[in-house]
Amino acid sequence: MNLPEVILLVLVALAGVRLWFRFGRGRPGRVQQGRAGLPRPAGPDRPHGARAAALSRLTGYTGLVAAREIRQRVRGRIFRVGTVLILLVVAAAIVIPVLNKSRSGPQVVGIVGSLPAPLRAAVVAAGATTGAAVRLVPEADLAAARADLRSGRIGLAIVSARAVLVSKAIGAADTSAGAQLVRAVSRTLGVDEAVRAAGLSAAQLTQLARARPLPVTSLQPAPPSGSTHGASLVGLILVFLMLTQYNTWTLIGVMEEKSSRVVEVLLAAVRPVQLLGGKVLGIGLVAFAQAALVVAFALALAKAVGSDLLQGTAPLVLVSTLAWLVLGYAFYCWVYAAAGSMAERQDQVQSLAFPLSLPIVFGYIMALTTVGSGSPSAFFKVLAYLPPTAPFAMPVLVGFGAVSWWEFAASAALSVLCTVGVARLAAGIYRRAILRTGRRVRLREVVSASAR
Amino acid sequence: MAGALELDGLTRRYGPVTALDHLSFSVPAGQVVGFLGPNGAGKTTTMRAVFGLTDLDAGRVRWNNAPVGAAERRRFGYMPEERGLYPGMLVGEQLVYLGRLHGMSAADAAAATRAWLERLGVADRADSKVEVLSHGNQQRVQLAAALVHGPELLILDEPLAGLDPAGVDAIAGVLAAQAREGCCVLFSSHQLDLVEDLCETVTIIDHGRLVVSGRVDDLATSGPRRLVVRVEGDRDAAWARQLPGVAVSEIDRGAARLVLDEQTDSEWVLKAAMAAGRVTEFVVQRRRLSEVFREALA
Repeated sequence: MNLPEVILLVLVALAGVRLWFRFGRGRPGRVQQGRAGLPRPAGPDRPHGARAAALSRLTGYTGLVAAREIRQRVRGRIFRVGTVLILLVVAAAIVIPVLNKSRSGPQVVGIVGSLPAPLRAAVVAAGATTGAAVRLVPEADLAAARADLRSGRIGLAIVSARAVLVSKAIGAADTSAGAQLVRAVSRTLGVDEAVRAAGLSAAQLTQLARARPLPVTSLQPAPPSGSTHGASLVGLILVFLMLTQYNTWTLIGVMEEKSSRVVEVLLAAVRPVQLLGGKVLGIGLVAFAQAALVVAFALALAKAVGSDLLQGTAPLVLVSTLAWLVLGYAFYCWVYAAAGSMAERQDQVQSLAFPLSLPIVFGYIMALTTVGSGSPSAFFKVLAYLPPTAPFAMPVLVGFGAVSWWEFAASAALSVLCTVGVARLAAGIYRRAILRTGRRVRLREVVSASAR
Repeated sequence: MAGALELDGLTRRYGPVTALDHLSFSVPAGQVVGFLGPNGAGKTTTMRAVFGLTDLDAGRVRWNNAPVGAAERRRFGYMPEERGLYPGMLVGEQLVYLGRLHGMSAADAAAATRAWLERLGVADRADSKVEVLSHGNQQRVQLAAALVHGPELLILDEPLAGLDPAGVDAIAGVLAAQAREGCCVLFSSHQLDLVEDLCETVTIIDHGRLVVSGRVDDLATSGPRRLVVRVEGDRDAAWARQLPGVAVSEIDRGAARLVLDEQTDSEWVLKAAMAAGRVTEFVVQRRRLSEVFREALA
């Protein structure tokens, strides 16, 4: 089984567990006619009505709460403007490199004097090894070549197959395409001169021309290609932005329900776990939809403009990023919701949000550093199994090809297990803290309080 | 008193503070019951206990002789003391949402929302955000939120606080109509004159304990008798202050309100007043609810 199949399996399993959990808790009842002719619920723990939204039908009162969250969030200006901005940034990141690439035409090499046909072919081949297409143009004399170099019409000139002339000296640290081409051409001409000086026979020359590089065996997997590198970075930034943004929404959303006292009205009708579950489900679905839209847009645009983004393991990195966005949000949202239930004011929210954001920032920085270094450390591999940092570390390991499907699945399973534990603890804190008003609730009070 | 809602031995402690101390009383169907007590008496805690919003150390809440669970609570309506609505949500949407959380279909909730906004005179604000409404209109929307699902039991914590006379009349009218339709209505207020006008029954608590509970008429006619006596030329009721067994509770524009103890004969008081000057007013009065309240808590 390969990694995409594993990811699909995990997602299907999660959806299945959710459906089983919801459908196993009773069917909608019938509406009784209430006093004064108004309809009234019959009692079962879910809403009724043929026109209930699909989400509400699936998840009862939790679904109703989630549907409200989705409606309110998607309507908000922050969400709409933010989505458009993200799409614009992604579009720019994909299209601009493609445009730059297509704009950079072939490298023009001026030929002063004669250059034998085998050498002409060798120069073009040397250009290809540096990724540059080479076009050879004849120069009348050295003065004309100098003039063309100065005007930029040619990048370098080969003088009588014996010397290479450039406009500006090339430093040892210069890794530009032009510099690489000059080095390659210089080396090719040098080798040719040495071969000719050696007085080899035609057969020996042919043998040399057919030389093939030896196979290279590595102790460690190759660092990700440029496109995978880019996909890992895009994925990391996406996970970081999404986790930060949507968990903050959860935190502030819960705090606002408490501070506006609407929570008292809501909890008179639904159970705390339904209210809490609906909120994190609704915000999570908005987050996932936005992330999926961004990824789908990126992949579609990359395909349309012929970007490198679709090469190598990049699509796999993006898909696993989405999976870990779900797992990461599922883990953190409960923690943030519990924190929100302990606050009543904006300043309290800030003091609560800071410590919660530390593992997110830590995971993000570690992952960024690892992508930059091109090789995951043993410590980083451990982070890929810890639920707070796995959403950042595991997709990066996928990009490196440094993780097998069962390791991916084990980390996901561990995250799900820890999420269940965190959710239970958070629901208890939420239940005890959400109705305590007047001052900030201390964690000690709600954790040590007996579960009455 | 048999009733639809029964509170039996409710006890709630917050550390050393006892908010509810074996509190028991019942609320009959079809009546508006005033729930009175000084600040900190435990009224809000009691109301929250009915909705499971506070954990009880002891006691139970029963509805129609059965324990109250989530399904029963969904048939109750609640207006908390510190009003609670989403400030940035549209009024109509908010009421439909709350109706649906109480088990209504979307269509029924929308119809009920329109009906209640119309009845409470805020139909034109259905598409406004709650935060832009005046205090009075927010109060009306909050009441609509408690009523939208047609509750069998309505519990309102200070529903009349801060309202102008028109707002008080509108909400009082709705509460009376709800009771007439068979709803069980319990509401707390410090506006005792309004409670006296609106309620058939009152329950007074203090320090989490029941002090008195009964019909307003019975409470008003029980206890010490009241006389209102006006004696020409004696606006301070100096004549009455020396009478044994008579206390001057207040003087209103020259008329003295007297409280007689059990042994004092009202005819004897009349003679004393006539001896002091020309008596222009002599009325035997019921106890006011405010007097019942003060005497119960004394």
